[in-house]
Amino acid sequence: MIPLSWVVATSAILFGLGLYGALSLRNAVRILMCIELMLNSVNLNLVAFSRYLHPDQPRGLVLAIFIMTVAAAEAAVGLAIFLTIARNRTDIDVDKIQLLKG
Amino acid sequence: MNAVQIIYALLAVVTLACAYGVVVAPKLMHSALWLGATFVGMAALYVLLDADFLAAAQILIYVGAITTMILFGIMLSDIRDLRAPGEGPWWRRFARLVLSPRRGLLPLLAALGFAVVLWGIAWQAPWPASAPPATSDVTSSIGRVLFTEYALPFELASVLLLVALVGAVVLAMREGVDNR
Repeated sequence: MIPLSWVVATSAILFGLGLYGALSLRNAVRILMCIELMLNSVNLNLVAFSRYLHPDQPRGLVLAIFIMTVAAAEAAVGLAIFLTIARNRTDIDVDKIQLLKG
Repeated sequence: MNAVQIIYALLAVVTLACAYGVVVAPKLMHSALWLGATFVGMAALYVLLDADFLAAAQILIYVGAITTMILFGIMLSDIRDLRAPGEGPWWRRFARLVLSPRRGLLPLLAALGFAVVLWGIAWQAPWPASAPPATSDVTSSIGRVLFTEYALPFELASVLLLVALVGAVVLAMREGVDNR
């Protein structure tokens, strides 16, 4: 069986990659993709802990399913917002979208 | 190391390489395709962790819906990708990226610090040495828990999806289309 620390280490690297991308990239669609990466790494952790600690009560798996649901809703609304922004300007640079800055 | 561990290590390396591709791919389209590959790799990791239903849901929702939606969103709109100025040899571009504090150094430090802390926890913490034997019917117990204990969050999730659907349609609708 796979050691649990391997799974936690994998998801730590994945979360670090997503965090770096979300903080350093400027394209809003790329930031959305990096957020999906981070949500996936959390899901991997939940699945692993549910398997190793309570395999008879799959509460972690249920929580992962809810995270998938929220991630799908977030991606849909986020892409719709980006499409609306891209209609008025050609790029979706998060540094230049400052409509609420005042 | 037995066979399952070797397979897990290979799949994890491939998945992390695909995730790296998401972050560094120069074209937005390639980045989205790497994202789909990452999701497939995650589904394979779920299979190794005895979560078959999660793997199927991952393929259906993430690969089938989210990646496709992002690809269509890129292709059907005029979202233009932001290209970094690509002059100079690669090490000079790399140095410039790393040395720019807001876009290079600080995110790198934050992500590295977070990952290092998590790695320390992962290797130090007293995890259970071996997993208990797998229960045979994970999927049916997921269904039982989902419809008894988590029935209210389940129904709320359906409301959330409906609201997100309507909201996405309203946001993406062009102005003036509804006046006809």
